[in-house]
Amino acid sequence: MFQERQEDGLKPKLKAISGYKSDDPLQEPVLTISGLRKVFAGKGTFHTVLNDVTLRVKDGELACIIGRSGCGKSTLLKILAGFLPPSSGKVLLNGKPISAPGPDRCMVFQEDTLFPWLTVSENIGFGLKRTVKAKREREAEVDRFISLVGLDEFKNYLPHEISGGMKQRVALARVLILKPQVLLMDEPFASLDAQTREEMQNLLLSLWKKMSYTIVFVTHDVDEAVILADRILLMGKDPGIIRDSISVNLPRPRQRDTGDFIFFSRKLHERLRK
Amino acid sequence: MQTGKNSLHHTAFHWLPWIIPSLLIIGWFVLSETGRVPTYLMPHPFQVGKAGYSYVLGNPGESPYSGRFLADAGASLVRVAGGFAVAVLLGIPLGILSGRIATVRKLMGSTINGLRAVPGISWLPLAMVWFGIGLKTTIFLVALAAFFPIYLNAATGARQANPLLLQAGAMMGVNRLRGTFAILLPGAMPNIMTGLRLGLGISWAYLVLGELTGVPNGLGALIMDARMLGRIDMIVVGVIVIATIGRLADQLLKTSMKFCFKSARRMA
Repeated sequence: MFQERQEDGLKPKLKAISGYKSDDPLQEPVLTISGLRKVFAGKGTFHTVLNDVTLRVKDGELACIIGRSGCGKSTLLKILAGFLPPSSGKVLLNGKPISAPGPDRCMVFQEDTLFPWLTVSENIGFGLKRTVKAKREREAEVDRFISLVGLDEFKNYLPHEISGGMKQRVALARVLILKPQVLLMDEPFASLDAQTREEMQNLLLSLWKKMSYTIVFVTHDVDEAVILADRILLMGKDPGIIRDSISVNLPRPRQRDTGDFIFFSRKLHERLRK
Repeated sequence: MQTGKNSLHHTAFHWLPWIIPSLLIIGWFVLSETGRVPTYLMPHPFQVGKAGYSYVLGNPGESPYSGRFLADAGASLVRVAGGFAVAVLLGIPLGILSGRIATVRKLMGSTINGLRAVPGISWLPLAMVWFGIGLKTTIFLVALAAFFPIYLNAATGARQANPLLLQAGAMMGVNRLRGTFAILLPGAMPNIMTGLRLGLGISWAYLVLGELTGVPNGLGALIMDARMLGRIDMIVVGVIVIATIGRLADQLLKTSMKFCFKSARRMA
């Protein structure tokens, strides 16, 4: 049930062998990162945030990156989004280097990044304006996504009039509507209360099942990673590296109160402390 | 939804802005009636009221100032509008540029802050040499004065724009130009509004300065003319007219910005 393998393609080192899915060699990864380094230059000093990060994310996979604060997981996500350039190494989407932000890799931020002067439906339709010129077509699509995230009654509300959880629903809908290939999520539910967080995790899972995009989800919450992930990438600190890649083979839908879940989560906590 | 208490509160709220002007007028009335203030310092409200009535509604030619209101106000409005428009057209783009681009900020910062320290009245002699007496000088002074608050506030708004909003736009495929109009400007709207309102307010101050120099019409000219003829009542009329028009212009600015821009309409 609890497996790990080196990311550099060495023979998988298995601890237990229940339902292990091997990598399909024919399937091209969506994201390929190899030898990624990120160095921030300060006043005469250099701080290596990411050192030789190598990982692959398959099409349709839900990968959680977990690590303590300051391990560079957000930096890694920003590089994937194209907000930051890598210092060296390769970062490829479908074999092409990532150089700038774009609607094929959309980010859901931890902070509130909705446009405060636009209503819920205007926020969701914002990115669509560029590609869908016909207003009626756009509105129909916006309505569809408003329903998907369950905000029908709030479509004409302004961001400051809705709760934090609803804001993250809008943030999710406004990027999903662009049909991104990869969804990047930077601790998107970290500032929500426990109940809302669980609701959002369930929503994310149901949308993921429905629409099958690839998700890279950064979190520092072990339970969240175990609930969501196909695979958990454990990051180590100073400098940031990917220490472990752990497949989560618990059946879905996952329950938090099962023995398997608790066992998995405890193991992961131990691993994180090391 | 609206309870009795609420609507009462609402009505009281509605009358709030009129309390101070009413008290001022009552105080003025009392001081004049009791004779504590001689009329050559402050004429009686009735006298000012009569002068104002004749100025606004009287037939031209009845007395020196009767019926001149429309011509004066019209001339002044054109000067303020012209100067303010120049200030907006220069101030907002330059402000946004220097708020976003460090090179532009470095390039213009010292010059603009230096010029800003020069009092408007020091420009008057120069403006008169350059532009003569009248429209052009007044527009120059108004534009110069209104430019600084508009520029500085636009720059602040652009500099403080939430970088995450711009990143969010970039990832949704918004290019730099559209991002400027669809994200940066609406985001900076509260600051831009402040700048515009300050700029418009100061426009009226510099309008009077520009009109003090011997132009035949305009509200500033009225005040200057009345001072030379010793018509204190007309000076007071001029002050009240400028205060009223200034207040209305501010309201018009706010209303039209809200009419034109979502971001102004939905400003917290």
